[in-house]
Amino acid sequence: MTDQPSIEIPITLIAGYLGAGKTTLINQLLNSEKLPANTAVLVNDFGDINIDEQLIVNVSQADNVIGLANGCVCCSISDDLTAALEQLRASAVERVILECSGVAEPGKARQQCYYPGFYPQACIVLVDAQAHDQRCNDKYVGALARTQVQQADLLVVTKTALNPQFRLAQLQPSIAVEEAGCLDLLLGWRAQGYAPDAPTEETLPHFAAKTLHISETVSSDAVRGYLRELPQSLQRVKGYLQTPEGIVEVQQVGGQVEIHPRPQLTLGSTELGLVFIGYRGEELPQQTPLF
Amino acid sequence: MLTLFKARSVITMNESLPRGSAVLVRDGIILEVGEEANMAPWLRDQDYVIDEQFADKIICPGFIDPHLHPSMAAVLLPMEFITAMRWKLPWGVVEPVTTEAAFDQRMAKLVAEKDPEQPLFIWGYHQLWHGAMSKARIESIAGQRPTVVWHRSFHELYMNSAAMEMVGVVAADIKPGMQIDIEHGHFYEGGLGYAINRLNPWILAPEKYAAGLQRLKQVVHYGGHTTIGDLATGMFNFSAEAEALSQHLEGDSVPFRTRLVAHGTVLTKGGVPPTEGPELAEALLQRNSHRLQFGRHIKLFSDGAFFSQLAQLQEPGYIDGHHGEWLTTPEILEQHIRAYWHAGYQIHVHVTGDLGLQLTLDILQKMQDEKPRFNHGFTFEHFGFSTPEQIRQIKALGAQVSANVYYLHELSDSYSQSGIGYERASQMARLGSCFDAGINTTVHSDFTMAPAEPLNSMWVAVNRVNHDGDVMGATECLTPYQALQAITINAAHVIGMADITGSIRSGKRADFTVLDQDPLTCDPMTLRDIGICATVFEGKVFPLP
Repeated sequence: MTDQPSIEIPITLIAGYLGAGKTTLINQLLNSEKLPANTAVLVNDFGDINIDEQLIVNVSQADNVIGLANGCVCCSISDDLTAALEQLRASAVERVILECSGVAEPGKARQQCYYPGFYPQACIVLVDAQAHDQRCNDKYVGALARTQVQQADLLVVTKTALNPQFRLAQLQPSIAVEEAGCLDLLLGWRAQGYAPDAPTEETLPHFAAKTLHISETVSSDAVRGYLRELPQSLQRVKGYLQTPEGIVEVQQVGGQVEIHPRPQLTLGSTELGLVFIGYRGEELPQQTPLF
Repeated sequence: MLTLFKARSVITMNESLPRGSAVLVRDGIILEVGEEANMAPWLRDQDYVIDEQFADKIICPGFIDPHLHPSMAAVLLPMEFITAMRWKLPWGVVEPVTTEAAFDQRMAKLVAEKDPEQPLFIWGYHQLWHGAMSKARIESIAGQRPTVVWHRSFHELYMNSAAMEMVGVVAADIKPGMQIDIEHGHFYEGGLGYAINRLNPWILAPEKYAAGLQRLKQVVHYGGHTTIGDLATGMFNFSAEAEALSQHLEGDSVPFRTRLVAHGTVLTKGGVPPTEGPELAEALLQRNSHRLQFGRHIKLFSDGAFFSQLAQLQEPGYIDGHHGEWLTTPEILEQHIRAYWHAGYQIHVHVTGDLGLQLTLDILQKMQDEKPRFNHGFTFEHFGFSTPEQIRQIKALGAQVSANVYYLHELSDSYSQSGIGYERASQMARLGSCFDAGINTTVHSDFTMAPAEPLNSMWVAVNRVNHDGDVMGATECLTPYQALQAITINAAHVIGMADITGSIRSGKRADFTVLDQDPLTCDPMTLRDIGICATVFEGKVFPLP
């Protein structure tokens, strides 16, 4: 065995059931200026990949790698992730975005990303606003659809226009795909508790979330006051709280605080609280606020 | 030239003439079976020989395993076996090794006997029987000779330092959280891929693979087969596999034919829409040769591996609450099935759990509603867990069953303890019900998942004894006659070759398996020990030692 220092490459996983919009998102990333140089995007199949021809500089002889003008590559993994990662170890790639299969469980997929030379940075799970609730009750994939959401580090809700009423009751960081800054957020997302041994160069702002469980009854005014006091750099706050008037949905984006009654929701104590999303861990509140 | 084979008895598996004492063959085709006295009209003014070498033997139709994997077998067969179950292989019977001490003894024997210049690859380890494995344990026996111990499930392996050195495992690369325990030389799940990527030069070396296919050829002959099904051609690589198969499984020295059934999702890899699959499958027919034949068959996959408890189960699921896995997204499976159903194909779907089976049944129901088909041959492959209600659905939809009955022998005991409970574990491979319902039913080995010995499959199907000797689900036992149907004529129907093989009657190919004992009248517990003295493939005798 030889001992040599290794630089670890972060992998951002993009998971979610068939039709949740993974390919659309990948296409958006591939054609976006936001994709940092030296990123490898691993897809299951080139079938639905759609890259602006002007961006393509070459297609490898093996036909499984497309080179892009910005120094990135798009590779098809065709069922063998480890072989694809092995190929990337020898390249100049600095980060990986991995499209999971529609039936992948994020937890297991994340494990796969602890491949020597790599580590999982975050698992982003896409949720189809139109189909999710029904899918959760499906005889065949209901358990899988629920597991995918539970095991996500960040949820990205898609197709919200088709079902504006859609709400995920889980107390987890989430963002709608249409929201401004979504691509930055998911590219820079880091799983809670994530701390790699060998940090790579900080070329991207890193985002993280903090979840605070708040099961006691609080007054809407106190909550409003608290949210207004939060630092401006905080990206957003979302959650559900119990007030004397019933359950309310709380949201703070760019300094705008919104509190809406959600009487139809029945939530357990573990689903009540606030999720804070911000640039750096230290800017996120660490203590449960006293209202 | 005509050949008249005489036998103690000929079991024809043709219900119109179940038994005879002679069979007359010309140019590989059966002219007549029955009694020698009736064959005179064929022999008048003809050159013929009377072959009496089987005069005190039993001639059966050539055995058929309708579902195994030559390419996987070619990787495994060059390895040494140390297994908890018995494996009868042409180069020797691997006797069961069921204790930690016995495993180490066998490993020591291999170390002493095998070429010290070569790395040692051992397959078949299982912690349930053989205790905890580790780098240190391997080294206490094999020292610094590169040694790899592969788990029975294939999902994990152990290496000693010498093996890690040989393949270039970089210790500095291995970090906590990876599915690699470098201290114990243990590589599993994701970490297994890292090991395999480095072991490939040894296990997939062309000469090794070729040697593996030659061994497979021996194994298939030794099991008494004259026909097999390769039920996922292309699982590694289409052209490489097709080339290797035509090099090693074609030609006069090969005593069997192979039905090649393409791996459907590999066929349309690279973004080809499922609707174009049938056209690609059609093109494969161009590759056909005498012994290697694609047909209008396709293989697709529903739920996860039975041996890894990843079968998808209906309520109440697994005792520990974990869920199985889908190998194909259900909607995508439906798209593939629809494409091949409408193109008139016979579809074989890998199903292991009763939820995987139900999904596939529901899709088949949709297909029947869209475009009713008779005699479509839709086949449920493996068929681990099922319910009595599903048996009725299978019958009503006109489908068939090809079961890996060996699951019951090796796993029903441990799955009843830690898995799914006794009731469902004892009813794995619900084959008696399939026969009672009149469903065409066969059994297979899925080799290397189970031994490629049709008589062993027959033995499990008839006796339903697990490795501990307990009878599991006695009402699902097959009669010896049903089990013999399963490994001959019923198997022929499942792979679409019943017109040429699977029974002994006038007009079919002269494919026989010649036995020392009568499998229909012997003590059923001795079925798997019946000696096979020869096979006959298209009239040509291939003796077995």
